[in-house]
Parts: sequence; structure tokens; C-alpha cells
Amino acid sequence: MKSVFIVYNQALTERVNYILEQLQIKGFTQWPLVNGAGTFGGEPRMGSHTWPEMNSATMTVVDDELVPLILKYVKSLDEVNKENGIRAFVWNIEQTV
Amino acid sequence: MSIFTSAVEKPITTLMVFLAIIVLGVFSYTQLPVDQYPKMDPPYITVMATYPGANASDIEENVTKPLEDQLNSVDDLKELTSTSSENISVVALEFEWGKNLDNASNDVRDAVDKALDKLPDDIDRPTIMRMSTSMMPILVYAVTANESFSGLNKIIDDKVVMRLNRVNGVAQVGIAGIPERVVYVNLDPVRMDALGMTLEQVSNAIAAENRDVSSGNLKMGLVDYTARIEGEFEKSSDIDDIVLRASDGSTIRLGDIAEVRDTLQDITLEQKINQGTGAIVYVTKQSDANAVKVAELCKIELEKALADMPTDIKFQTIVDNSEFIVNSINNLTDSLMYALISVVIVVFGFLGRWRATMIIALTIPISLIVAFIYLFVSDGSINMISLMSLSIAIGMVVDDAIVVLENITKHIERGSRPREAAKYGTNEVWTSVIVTTLVTVAVFFPLTLIPGIMGIFFKPLGWIVCVCVCTSTLTAISLTPMLSSQLLRLRDKKADEETKRSHRFNFYVFVSMQLDKLDAFYERIIRWVLCHKTFTILGMSALFISSMFLLRFINTDFFPQNDQGNMSVYVKMQPTQRAEETGRIAARIDSTFRADIPELTLSSFSYGSEETASFTSMMSTTGSNVANMRIRVTDMDERDRSIFEIADQVRDILKSFPDVLAYTVTMGNSSTTSNTVDMEIMGHDFTATANLAKVLADKARMIPGAEDINISRDDDKPEIRVRLDREKLARHGLTTTQVGTAIRYRIYGNRQTKFKEDGEEYDIIVRLDEEARTSITGFENIQITDGFGQRIRLKEIGTIFESYSPPSIERKSKQRMLSVSITPAAGVSMGEIALAAQKIIDETEIPDALSVYIGGSYEDQQESTSALGLLLVMALILVYIVMAAEFESFKMPFIIMLAIPFAFTGVFLALLLTGTTLSVVALLGAIMLVGIVTKNGIVLIDYINLMRERGVRLYEAIALSCRSRLRPVLMTSLTTIFGMVPMALSFGEGAETWRPMGIAVIGGMVFSTIVTMLIVPAVYAAWDKSGSRNKKKAINSQYTFMSDFDAERDLPKKNN
Repeated sequence: MKSVFIVYNQALTERVNYILEQLQIKGFTQWPLVNGAGTFGGEPRMGSHTWPEMNSATMTVVDDELVPLILKYVKSLDEVNKENGIRAFVWNIEQTV
Repeated sequence: MSIFTSAVEKPITTLMVFLAIIVLGVFSYTQLPVDQYPKMDPPYITVMATYPGANASDIEENVTKPLEDQLNSVDDLKELTSTSSENISVVALEFEWGKNLDNASNDVRDAVDKALDKLPDDIDRPTIMRMSTSMMPILVYAVTANESFSGLNKIIDDKVVMRLNRVNGVAQVGIAGIPERVVYVNLDPVRMDALGMTLEQVSNAIAAENRDVSSGNLKMGLVDYTARIEGEFEKSSDIDDIVLRASDGSTIRLGDIAEVRDTLQDITLEQKINQGTGAIVYVTKQSDANAVKVAELCKIELEKALADMPTDIKFQTIVDNSEFIVNSINNLTDSLMYALISVVIVVFGFLGRWRATMIIALTIPISLIVAFIYLFVSDGSINMISLMSLSIAIGMVVDDAIVVLENITKHIERGSRPREAAKYGTNEVWTSVIVTTLVTVAVFFPLTLIPGIMGIFFKPLGWIVCVCVCTSTLTAISLTPMLSSQLLRLRDKKADEETKRSHRFNFYVFVSMQLDKLDAFYERIIRWVLCHKTFTILGMSALFISSMFLLRFINTDFFPQNDQGNMSVYVKMQPTQRAEETGRIAARIDSTFRADIPELTLSSFSYGSEETASFTSMMSTTGSNVANMRIRVTDMDERDRSIFEIADQVRDILKSFPDVLAYTVTMGNSSTTSNTVDMEIMGHDFTATANLAKVLADKARMIPGAEDINISRDDDKPEIRVRLDREKLARHGLTTTQVGTAIRYRIYGNRQTKFKEDGEEYDIIVRLDEEARTSITGFENIQITDGFGQRIRLKEIGTIFESYSPPSIERKSKQRMLSVSITPAAGVSMGEIALAAQKIIDETEIPDALSVYIGGSYEDQQESTSALGLLLVMALILVYIVMAAEFESFKMPFIIMLAIPFAFTGVFLALLLTGTTLSVVALLGAIMLVGIVTKNGIVLIDYINLMRERGVRLYEAIALSCRSRLRPVLMTSLTTIFGMVPMALSFGEGAETWRPMGIAVIGGMVFSTIVTMLIVPAVYAAWDKSGSRNKKKAINSQYTFMSDFDAERDLPKKNN
């Protein structure tokens, strides 16, 4: 089991949902509005007057086999337009109840 | 913090706010006046002028025309009509509704003042009257007396009228049928001739003697005296002794040539009560006074007055409007209470828990009480319309609270603490609660905008329902969550299961089991319907279309008639008939009534016409050939037959009298709202118009469904005319006016002076002896003095012949008018008759000078129908707007509104089955159905949409939503239906008014609820088959970044 944390400009919300839907991933947790900035050239998304845009974040816990698929399509979504910005981070799940 | 959070957090504050509302409401309730209908101020002003002794044409020429010429220029005048009849001219001005009548009556007064110069000199000043419902007498008493009859006028005037006039709110106390005391001086023409005296001289002599003249001051010593010459008659016999001439040693006194009689006027309006002599006393109220209160005060005063009156004088009630109002309002209040109870029972039946029921039931009194505050603030009253509005609202105000409570209960059953459940449960549904309220408001708000007479009935309804529903929403999202947080308890599910297994009876468990069964049954039906959509939709449409044909069989009526226990009968006999003969026949009719109608408690009739403009002549048509009868029967609970059945018997009795030419029987106190189509013939020539009227009337009789074809102008009345020879007149130095006045004095009498006694004034009437007035020879030989002082006889200067003239002349917009009125037979609409009438007019050759229009109440009804139609369209548009916005769809509102026509089908069916007429009240019910029916549709569609968005397949979504929404829909419908049941079933005083509404609403609700639950799912299924799925596909096809993905290939295979 891996946890995939996807964070992206909120304009990409519907597409990210589309990825999850296509990959038949049912469980997820979503933060519709989060602040943040990318390390490599990503614009700050602060919802302020200076930086008005906002990010969204989705975390999903999936079987190991699905991780490469998610990453693949996150990457391909990023390729469409670099300015929007979408990143995915994967880490291990130690325990669940 | 939102309203419901604050309410839950601060229960005491919330409670206090609502307590304050209740206190204000109860205060308003106690202050509100009670009345039959909302206050209406019909925009009519009537100008009435009396010119005694003149016939209709004279009145038209000399009085009506000058008045009309001036009145025509009054601002905002809609229509000017007039009737000129013997002695009286009545000019009626109709203004636009909503016109300020205070300004209007000032304008009218100015116009009358201007016209005054052109009116005959001895005419009474025209009276200006504002017609309003308050003109109708609130109390009518029959006064009978035996020994005291001759003094009745003075006794009633002193003891009763004086007292009643002092009562706050009384506008006028009128007496009819009591002869007034007058002093007649009947001159003997032969003796006058012999002595060479004229009537004018005698009359002047009397006037000259009957005076007190103050003649200045006399100072004598220390005292200052005023000098007075006294001549006023102290007793009527003084008149006898007036010396007319003293010469040649002989004195001629008045008594030598005349008979002086101090007596009662030779009345022309005679009143009989229970076959004895008597009089009628009317009491009217000021228009802003409250009928019930005024009547109560008057009755107390009358009691006191009766105490010091001769014992043979008896007062009997003929009409007591206040009694009827109080009884019917009490009746309606009872219905309202039963409605409240039945709504609470329905709610309890569905919820099965008394605490929850309590919480919901509490919203009813609060919402209704706010309506009383509204009425108080808006200067309204407790009347039939406002109470009916409340009973409409009663079923609707619980809906919001139910939705909120259900959701809170759901959370509690999941284990939340009531306080949290109340907060979050309300948060989830409060927007949808507000939207459904908006739909209701969208239907009822347009009612407040209706102009005209319809507006008077619909405006309060619209406002009250809007106010109640809005209050109920506010209550539902504040008081309901607060009470839920305090009162609801977590229900032990295990215990319920236990009861179910142990077969012990528990109401809650029983109810839920039965409802579950019903849900399952309904789901099966829906699944069948979904498989047979075309059949269902076509079947329903056929049903609707066939119901439209039912409309032909329903009788229409403007407003339902009430059984007030009294009726008035107008009987017309031969136009040439003397009043005495009319009285004789009327007495025979009266005895037949008394013998044949066992329920009769009081009968009175009057015949003949009065000299002066009085109350009676305003209220009813009088004439020497006309008898007006009133019948009062026992109270409703003491008799088996309704007043309508008794009226039918009265009609039969009248038919058996050959002398009776025409009659109308009017129920209750108000004049009937007629429903006639009139062909109005405008033209000056009497014969031409009368001939055309006959032609049109004959053709109208051919129209199928046309009844009671009436020509408005009566047959001509005989009269004796004098055509003066102008040449002879000139030779005698006379003018027509002089001759006319002279003759008038001799026949009608000259009233120059008054006889005073005990502060009262009585006319002294000088006229010729009866002999000269009762034969043609006597009339021909009347002497007048010419310009040279010589005496000549009437026949010397003119020809006297018998002729005929119309008894009354109607005019409309300053033109003579004659109307042929057609009453549609039962089941025939006015529109059909009007079309047929128009066809007749087109086919008939109309002489050039005449013109014919369609008018009458058809015209008025057209106006009100178009107002109602407009209202319905507006309500539909507003409802569509609200729903389209709610569902974010153009299509959904259509599906929901499909159920509306079926509501009307239900209304028609119910009316037909119960034999109720389609009246304004029934229509009112029909319009409110629009709101309730759409509400049902919304509940259903909303849930189907929800299920669809959750990805459930179409048919499955429909079947599941229908199953789960059945209860809320049934509950709202049943609360409305049971709220109306007491009204539909009630009988007793006034019930005729609201029963049609109850019947219409129940019929419409039952039918439309069933239909909504079937046709809406079917249409939804047919219409939305692929819509949602395609929309999603279209969006997804835009996402190209995953185009290389193939689920079959790429997804890891599941182990199982």
C-alpha cells in the first residue's frame, strides 16, 4: 500500500478526478483549497492579492501496482501545460485500521 | 453564526422571541374587527334628485340632463348611467377601481352645484351618496303598532332614531312606511270661483299669516323690551279662521271655501307587516365602522328605547347582518380548529412519535398568529376571506418543519446528541426549505397584485399565505431545531426490534410497518409505469382532455349565495294599476305565503312609491304597480329546507297569480350578482328602440340555453297630457311654465309654509279638493288666472288627452339606453350566449339612428376573468422561473408543471360530483393548487436528480426516489387535504361560501397527487433517457492526456 499525494492548481481539479475515476480508484481525501509554492520555478499560490491563485490537494492510498499508472498520467497532465503545475509524491503506508 | 446555530445555542432567547410574537399576535387578534368580507369601497357615487309630481320624461329633460352634462366632466369617470323615473332621477357614476372617492365626491359636489342653476326652482337639492357595502343596512326591523300607529313617526323619531343616531358608527337610521303628519288645505273650486279667489292668493294668505315677526326694541323706563308680532299657528284649526277677505261687511274665512285637515299624508308607499300596519326601520353603518360592533351597540340602545315606549309597539328583526356574520365567522373558526387537529393527526400518523408531532404542531399557531399581526398592521379584519386564507395556510405551514425535523431525527438515530443533530441536520436542508417556500410565494404573491373587485378577495389571501409560509420557514429553521435539541430523545432501536418480534402493539412500529408496505407497493407500480410510459402518458393526457369537456356541465357563479334566512321578493303588476289594487293583490300573495310556508316567521310588504327620495327608493324599485316583500324564516337548524328550496316554492306561488307580470326573488341581504348578457340599444326614439328591442328579444329566445329574456324598459304608463295652444297662451299673457306651475299647485299642492308644533315642522299643503283631482272633467275645469287677472279654465287654452309614457328612462353615457338582457340557463356559459347575441345583432338590420352593443355583467365578468387568467399566467411564469433557477434546467420545470393541469381536472371532477358551482371561491382553491402541486413535483424530481448524479441508472433512480419520496409527498398532500376537510364538510351559516373551496382543493389535491406520482416519473423517464450520460461523455472526450489508457489492458487484475 502506498499513499499518493497529488497537489495541483485548482483549475486541474476535474482532470485529476478524471484520472482517479479512469483508474477506478474509489477512496481519496481531498483538500479543495491549499496554499503553497513549487520548488522549481512554481509560482506561489497564496490566494492573496499578490498571488491570487490557489492549489488543491488530493491524497489517495492505493495498491503498489497502481502507483506507476497514477504517476504516468500526472506527468502527462503536467505536460499539457507546465504553467498550471501538478506534482505527485508517494510514500509508504505503515498501518491501517 | 447562522440563525439555527444561534437558536440552538440560545434556547431561552429563541423561546422569548417567539413568545413575543405570540403576545403581539394575541393582542392583534383581540383588536381585530370582525366582518363578513374585506373592506371594499366600490367606486360608485350616486346623485339622486327628487322632483315630485314629474313623470319620467320630465325628469329626464329637466333634471337628469342638466346633471349629466355637468357630471360628465368629472375626472376618472368610467361610466355614467342614469335612470329617470316618476319623481326621481338617479345618476350613477362609476369610477376606476382604486380612485380616491373623497376627491371624487368633492368633484361631484362641485358639478352638482354648477348644474343647480339649470334645475327647476322647486327641486330639492340633489343628494350625493357614496355607494359602498356599508350602504346596505346592517339591521332592519319591522315595527308594528296598533293604537299608537298614528303617532308612530314621532315616537320612533324621538325615542329610537335619536338614540341610535348617537351610537358610534351609525351612519343613518331610516324609517320607511310611516306616513308623515301634514296639514291639507283642500280648496273647493266652485266656492273659490264664486268668490273670485285663486289658489295662489289663499296660499299666500296662509304663508303671510303663519309668521312671527320681531319688531325691534322698546325702552320703557329702566326696562328694555323686545317687541314681537305673533302670528304663527298654535293649532292647526287656527288655519280655518284666517280671514281671506273682509269687505262689504262680510268676512270670508278660509274655512268657508276650504276643508282644513290635520292628518297623515296620503301616503303612496304603504307598509304591511305580518298583515298589520307597521313600518320598517333601517340602520346603516359608516363605511369604516365595524358592522358587528355597531349592531351590538344598536341592539343595546334599542332595548333601552323599548322600555319607555307604548307597549303596543313591537320591534321584530327582519335582517340582522351581524348575527349572520358572527355565526358564520364562528363556524369558520371551528373549521379552522378542526383543520388544525386533523393536520396534527396526519402528522402524528406519519411520524408515530408524539414529541416530534408536538414540535411540528407548534409551528401552526405561530404562523397563523403572525397573520393576525399582519392583519392588524394592514388595517384588515377577521373575515371569511382572511379565515379561509388561514385554513389554506394551515396545511402548508407544517411542511418545512417536517423536512427539518426528519433530517434532525436521522442524525439522532445515527447516534448524534440532539444538540449537534439539530445544528447539522438543519444546516443540510435549510436552503432547500427556503427554495420550496419561494415556490409557494411565487404562486401566491401575484395574487396581491390583482386590481379591481377581484383584488379585494385575492389580495388578503395572497398576503396572508405569503406571510404564513414565510413565518413557517423562519420557525422551521429556528424554533424547530431549538425544540428538537431540547425535546427529542435517542430512540432505542433494539427495543423497537424487540417489540416487533414480540407482537406487542406499539403505534410507532405499527405505523412504520404499514408505511413500508405502502412504499413497496408504490415502487412496484412505478416499475410497471416505467415499462409502459407511452401508455401512461397518453392515458393521462386523454383523461385531462376529456375532463375539459366536463367543464360544460359545471355551473358558474360569481360568488356562492348564503342562506341568511331571509329573502326579498319584487313583484311587478300591470303598469296602469293603482297602488290600492297592488296592495290588495300583494295582501293575497302574502296570505298564501303565510299559509303555505310553514317555516315563515315574518312577512312584510310595501307597495306604491314615495314622494321624496328615501332609503327605500335607493334600495329597491318602487312604483304604484310594484310590491316589495320580505320574508324571514326560522333559523337554519330549526328547518329542513334551505332558503333556496323555500325560494323555489315562493316562485311557484307567484306563478299562480295571473296579476303578477314579473317577479324576482333575492336571497339574503345583498342584491344578487346578476349574470346576464345585455344587448344595449342606444337611441333617442322610444318607439324605434322599443321595436328593435322586441325584434332582438324574439331572436334571443331562439338561442339555445337562453332564459329569462328581459327588456329593461317597462311598458308605457298611461298619463294625461295637456297640449297648450301657444297662440291662446300669448293672447292670455301666459307662458307654458306659468300654466304648468299653476296646475302643479292645484293637483300636487303648494307647500309654502310649515305648521310648527313641539319643535317639529309639518307641511301645510294647499291644493284643490279631491273632486277636481279625480275626474277628467274636474281636471279640464281647473281655473287659473291669466296675465290680465282674468280666470280661465284649462280646457280653454289647450287640449287634454290620454297618452302613454315610459315609466323610467335609462341612460348610459348621456344617451338613452334600452337593454335586452339574457340569462344563461344552467350549464351554459355567458361567453356562448354573448357570441350568439353578437351574431343576432350582426344579422339584424339596425336603423341608422340606433346602435347596439353587448354589455351587462358579461362585460364585468370578462374583466374579472381576464384578470384571473393573467394572474394564472403570471403565477405559472414565476413558478417556472423559481424552479428553472433551482434545478438549473429549462426542462425540469416543465416536467413538474405537467401535474398542474391534472389539479384542474380534479377540481372539475370534485365540483361536478358534488354539484357545486364554479365560483370565485372555487377558483381561489384551484389557483392555490398550482403551488402545492408543484411542490410535490419538486420533492420528487429533486431526489431523482440526486440519484442520477450519484450515478444510479435512470429507471433504478426513478423507482428508488419515488419509493423514498412517497412519504413526504403524501404527508404534505394529506395535511393540505385534511386541513380542508372540515371546510368541505361544514354546514351551517355561511358554509356555502367556503364549502366550494374545500371541495375544489380536496378534489384537485387527491387527483393531482395520484397523477403527479405516476406521470412525473413517466415523463422524466421518457425525456431524460440519455441526456445525462451523453453530457458526461462530451466532457470526458475533451481530456486527451489519457487517450492512451485502456482499462482492460492497463489496470492490474484483481485477485478474486
